[in-house]
Amino acid sequence: MSDTQWETYEVFHQSRRGKPHEHVGSVHAPDPEMALQMARDQFARRLECVSLWVVRTKDVTGTDYQDPDFFSRSFDKSYRDPKGFNAPAKIEPDTP
Amino acid sequence: MTGISPNIPRDPLLKLLVALADDELILGHRDSEWTGHAPILEEDIAFSNIAQDEIGHSLALFTFYSELTGKSPDSMVFERPWKDFACCRFVAYPKGDFAYTVVRQYLFDEAEQVRMNSLLDSSFEPIRGLATKILAEEAYHLMHSKGLVVRLGDATEESHRRMQQAVTDAFPQALGMFETLNGEADLVKAGVVKPSDVLLQQWLERVVPTLTDSTLKTEARRSDGTWNIQCKPDHGGRVGNHGEHLKQLVSDLQSVYRTAPGAGW
Amino acid sequence: MTGQSDEQKLAEFEARIAAGDRVEPGDWMPDEYRQNLIRMIGQHAHSEIVGQLPEGKWIPYAPGFRRKLILLAKVQDEAGHGQLLYRAAETLGKSRENMMDELLAGKAKYSNVFNYPTPTWADVGVIGWLVDTAAVINQTMLAQGSYGPYARAMKRICYEESFHIKQGYDAVVALTKGTPGQRAMAQDAVNRWWYPTLMMSGPPDSMSDHTARAMRWRIKTKTNDQVRQEFVDHIVPQIRAIGLEVPDRNCAYDEKSGHYRFTAPDWNELRRVVNGDGPMNKERLEARKKAHDDGRWVREALATKGRSVS
Repeated sequence: MSDTQWETYEVFHQSRRGKPHEHVGSVHAPDPEMALQMARDQFARRLECVSLWVVRTKDVTGTDYQDPDFFSRSFDKSYRDPKGFNAPAKIEPDTP
Repeated sequence: MTGISPNIPRDPLLKLLVALADDELILGHRDSEWTGHAPILEEDIAFSNIAQDEIGHSLALFTFYSELTGKSPDSMVFERPWKDFACCRFVAYPKGDFAYTVVRQYLFDEAEQVRMNSLLDSSFEPIRGLATKILAEEAYHLMHSKGLVVRLGDATEESHRRMQQAVTDAFPQALGMFETLNGEADLVKAGVVKPSDVLLQQWLERVVPTLTDSTLKTEARRSDGTWNIQCKPDHGGRVGNHGEHLKQLVSDLQSVYRTAPGAGW
Repeated sequence: MTGQSDEQKLAEFEARIAAGDRVEPGDWMPDEYRQNLIRMIGQHAHSEIVGQLPEGKWIPYAPGFRRKLILLAKVQDEAGHGQLLYRAAETLGKSRENMMDELLAGKAKYSNVFNYPTPTWADVGVIGWLVDTAAVINQTMLAQGSYGPYARAMKRICYEESFHIKQGYDAVVALTKGTPGQRAMAQDAVNRWWYPTLMMSGPPDSMSDHTARAMRWRIKTKTNDQVRQEFVDHIVPQIRAIGLEVPDRNCAYDEKSGHYRFTAPDWNELRRVVNGDGPMNKERLEARKKAHDDGRWVREALATKGRSVS
């Protein structure tokens, strides 16, 4: 059997309730439960933390930097943007 | 200095605190020997964490002791002769292979659970808070050490062989954690602690099934709801009957400090 | 991106870097960039884990609870940094197993400093103070580098190393305020670590093969000599302020340049040590190899178990 440093898990860390989970790095682990413990040692050693998620790296589906077309915006879609409208910032009430 | 109310037996209480503090310190010291030498980087980080926690618990217990006696934690640990240490012999044995370390840590972590839980309703109020804090950190330790025992117990032929050897060696030694301290009967009567033999039974109830489920044999058998031990417990630590291992350990521990005792470091 | 020639890709790559953009795993990159980074990050990771040994040796002897806990935390951080750095290198396509095997076979380089012995307790404080100061100056610069995963690892590591510096400094100050024996121990450690620490920033620019390309691709944003000078300017006043001496009679402040002059280290010594001929190279690699070999059954067992339960 080949020696291994185990497969990797991506780690997501939530510092406080209400904040989003943030990707902070990854750990090598033999299984998900140990990955969680290792993530705690590595990424919650000093940082405030209320929640940790671990996901096998191979289970992450992601976009390809080499394919920017996936995010392309060729045509004017400023109608989706607040700046695409011409409305006064403030409307004064009618004076009686 | 904090006072102890007259209905709490002072000397036995102080002895108990020192015994518990010594256990934590010596085990933490052994755990720290893995730093830079663990089987994998992740376990290096994990054991450094556990070592810090155990030494931290020792410091908390000695700090509490110093509030009662005026003797500082550093003076207790770095100036006391090795024969006056009250740790069980178990924690002073060399770290061995990783299997021995994991088994020792697991057996100790379960003992902590049992003992600290038993102090949560102690008649000596200040110890309850200390026990609560220690239990909080111990939750993670137990998760880690138990997780390793369960996995390594039957993973491969080699891991099983090593883990079984570790259990065979460590189990009789671990029984020394529950050696009755002098004056315990008075502490029990005052409601400060539960009896050691009760704690021992609770501990066996936790560790033996876990070890058995992990295909690891022990010399404990249950009959009529009571656990019976079929090996000789490695007692003596609580009354200062220590071996060469502790002598060497304490000598190392104190060597730098003693070159300028009383100086700042 | 597809259909472009390599020259076009390279031009675009270099333009992005010049504009301060970051490179992420999965981006096209010149092979030399990739190999350069793998080498650099790998060396950095190896340095952290070999570096655990000279200080870790003193944990059992640490004088007092506080020093013991602080040292344990520091060495733990170093293992953690090694872990982060190996992961950053892995994003470039080289496995940690591979890197470990090379290190243990004596085929990989790592920082010179960790090949020197630590014969006294004072060495621990001096390393934390001097070596980690040099490391932070270097790493702060690297945190501005172009490769995303490495730059991110640098930020995290710098944050933790800043504690190490304070802890080391604090330990040395305690010695200077103590007995004559403690004081002498501190000075002796500074005497021994001064030149090795100067060498940490690497060979002089005039002798450095890798620097030009590394600067162009923002793998580094300052040269070795620049980083070295920054270290000297920062540390000399600190050393003298606590009543210790810099073991270099030529070390003096030059009004005109605004920098400290200093005697260059022996670059032959650096070359020898980095190539495996330092006082502790053999012993430290043997220790890591033993840990690796002794731990094989654990790694295999947990991997086997992991496969069967998932």
